[in-house]
Amino acid sequence: MNPLKISITGVRGVVGETLTPHLVVQFAQAFGSYIGGGRVFVCNDARHSAAMVRSAALSGLLSTGCEPVDFGVCPTPGMQFALIGSRASGGIAISAGHNPEDWNALRFIRGDGMYFNSQEGDALLDVFHAGNFTKTAWDEFKKVHIKRDPFGAHLKKIRSVFDSDRIKKRKFHIAVDTCNGACSEAAPRLLESLGCKVTVIHDQPGSPFPHDPEPTRRNMQTLCAVVKAAGCDAGFMFDTAGDRLGVVTDRGEALFEEHLLPLCVMLQMQETPGTVVTNLSTTRAVDDAARAAGAQVIRTPIGQAYVAEAAFKNRAVIAGEGSGGIILPAVQNNNDSLAAMAFLLHHLARRRVKISTLADKTPRYEMRKHKAAMDFTRIYSSMQNARQAAAREFPDTRIVLDDGVKLEWRDAWLHLRPSNTESVIRIIAEARTAACAENLLQAGINLIS
Amino acid sequence: MKPVQTLKISISGVRGVVGDSLTPDLLVRFAQSFGTYMGPRTVVIGRDTRTSGEMVKHAVLGGLISSGCKVVDLDIVPVPTVQFMVRNLRAAGGIAITASHNPAQWNALKFIRGDGCFLNHYQARELIDIYHQGEYRTVPGRQMCEPRRNARAVTLHANAIIEKIGKLPARGKKLVAVVDSVNGAGSVMAAPFLESLGCKVVTINSKPDGIFPRPPEPLPQNLTDLCHAVRRHNADIGFAQDADADRLAVVSEKGLPIGEDFTLALAVDFVLSREKGTVVVNLATSHVIDDIVKRRKCRLLKSKIGEINVTELMMHENAVIGGEGNGGVIYPAVNMGRDSFTGMALILHLLAQSARPVSQIVARMPRYAMHKAAVPCPQELVVEVMDRLAREVSGKNVDRTDGLKIQTPKGWILMRASNTEPILRVVAEAGDPESAAALNAGFREKVESLIRSAAAR
Repeated sequence: MNPLKISITGVRGVVGETLTPHLVVQFAQAFGSYIGGGRVFVCNDARHSAAMVRSAALSGLLSTGCEPVDFGVCPTPGMQFALIGSRASGGIAISAGHNPEDWNALRFIRGDGMYFNSQEGDALLDVFHAGNFTKTAWDEFKKVHIKRDPFGAHLKKIRSVFDSDRIKKRKFHIAVDTCNGACSEAAPRLLESLGCKVTVIHDQPGSPFPHDPEPTRRNMQTLCAVVKAAGCDAGFMFDTAGDRLGVVTDRGEALFEEHLLPLCVMLQMQETPGTVVTNLSTTRAVDDAARAAGAQVIRTPIGQAYVAEAAFKNRAVIAGEGSGGIILPAVQNNNDSLAAMAFLLHHLARRRVKISTLADKTPRYEMRKHKAAMDFTRIYSSMQNARQAAAREFPDTRIVLDDGVKLEWRDAWLHLRPSNTESVIRIIAEARTAACAENLLQAGINLIS
Repeated sequence: MKPVQTLKISISGVRGVVGDSLTPDLLVRFAQSFGTYMGPRTVVIGRDTRTSGEMVKHAVLGGLISSGCKVVDLDIVPVPTVQFMVRNLRAAGGIAITASHNPAQWNALKFIRGDGCFLNHYQARELIDIYHQGEYRTVPGRQMCEPRRNARAVTLHANAIIEKIGKLPARGKKLVAVVDSVNGAGSVMAAPFLESLGCKVVTINSKPDGIFPRPPEPLPQNLTDLCHAVRRHNADIGFAQDADADRLAVVSEKGLPIGEDFTLALAVDFVLSREKGTVVVNLATSHVIDDIVKRRKCRLLKSKIGEINVTELMMHENAVIGGEGNGGVIYPAVNMGRDSFTGMALILHLLAQSARPVSQIVARMPRYAMHKAAVPCPQELVVEVMDRLAREVSGKNVDRTDGLKIQTPKGWILMRASNTEPILRVVAEAGDPESAAALNAGFREKVESLIRSAAAR
């Protein structure tokens, strides 16, 4: 296990082990030097280590002549939205999103609210490695500003994009699990302003995480029970950053995270069709949902930055990843769990249907996942071997090498790729039937052994 | 020529020029070292008004929090307030962010232990050792704590001084004091403190923005604004602080600086008039203190140079007052460190109980003059030269506590090796400037010939 990952998603690690205040300071100095000063927005989720990471980041930013604006506990998409149209030069989101509690991360955001793309990330790393940071003279230091109501404008935008009046009329009863994270205040506030009755669990920022913050079915068990017991219309779970959304239907069943994007694409296509962007590892159900409206699907490497950038370039109407990250460009070109929740309520309200009915109608495949843990030093050589083995054993198959190795058939695919966040190779297989998916997964495991 | 050294890691802390050597990652590591030294307990931090203060503070916060410290952030406060709050909150220690009397482009960390004193020489060495080892205590992220702001520190400190020393007597006309806080940390406390003590206060240079309108060291030549203000407002006294408000200089009602030595002299005279007890000063302090203490029939002890050496001897000997001749008044009933506010309170009380103005009180005290000079001396000859000089002078007039101090019928001479340069510093004090200069010159000649003969062998 290598608990520090420097990648396109930023720098993340286990606090105290690899993510030290010293490293944070240097990355903040690199960021401040790279963007050349100006206002920098800083937000954090509710992890205890934010106190350390925020201070170190503020110090690094000040030392390079930046003027930090501290958003405090704020969903990352809330801060990203505030950047749009501001004169700030960029932002740093302090949040390890779906990672466990002892992790934290710096994620670097441009002045337009979007994550650094790969070229920008590389350039930042060059500044970091060169270590030759801008040093402000003593009489040119700026002060730290505190941002009041950091996500108010974001919530207002969401209410204006979706049919708030219809949603209000339905008086939904919604259960919410914010995992004691950055959405603990924002999610209930948004729902209440949309006339919903809200039942909240785990909304105490600063308290220990009740479960891993990744919105997977396993982590939504409590929320399912709450939805069932209280007879809610739906349940929503947020990761600690507010990037990713998990959904529980009115029947109290957690939606498999891979099924959320196809559901949203299906709804979007029925209202305003257009280009869809997703990553290579996301279910082919997305293509089926888009095809129904004759829309194009563009696939990118894995990572929000790639997806968001392609969505922006191709003027997509919706984009996202199988992990629960949904981009609705009508609000902003970033993963936005709060916007995604309002989007679903908008469709529930307009169509007067239950969310379980919509979920049932979503095209579905069987997907199987496996994590092959191995020493970090072996990962890339194993990937090399897997590429050669794939070409040898599946000579007539379409093979995509943009991110790991992906083999594609007409109604099935197999993807092997090194994780961005853990020392594992992820193997994902998808097919029409469970048996077929299991077989493919096994074939994938064989490719690396 | 040697390059100008802009970073100084020493027993008095870590000091450097911002935008040059004092980088946030250096500061983070030092804060981690201190956090490692203190353990996961309460640590109090405060800063002066320097423009780099917020950058330094956040680096310190990051380092302390990562070692599991529970940080109480006082933000802009005088250094003596940080020392006071460490004791008040029963904290494990504190960090004062200030370069004291250095110019505005400097900043520094000063490390305070649980009893409110700065680290002594071996404690500082242990801290620096942790820094150099680079192995810091870390706690898991979930055990890290948000810093707590405490906005009451200045009030608590002011109240404690007034409680220990008392308000000024209410009879008659209120004393008028002008305070020059050099736009430093004293700005946030001077006016409310002196008003509640019972003065009329005029403040100058009291905008806590860290842009120093004069050199921050309260030397007589830096106090022209204050002298004018004292005259213009017809004030009874003028007070000048340095940027972190530990040192205090006094201007008389005539608008003339009385000299830094007399700050401590006035405070000692007042304290001994109220209670008899031991007084501690360092070896380089003017003998005006010796005379005052003798007149009050009390005991005077002399320590090595360095604030912590004075305070440790004071604690050991249960002294009632002590300090340094540079305007550092230490009154242990309030604070175990130099505290300009305590100094002001003591001197104002002296003024209130005396029928005379400051200039006359000072005129009635004995006068001495100091002369300072340096002799170049290779590092390897320092010990030999000191030893031979000590042998040449007769026994009981020699004091080897710190360097070499010699008492002569005309005055005293102190010679110490510099920590930073290959020189011997020679200070002589005598009854008037000419005698002090002559004393110094005569001694220097002896030293120079000794160095020559030692180098020849």
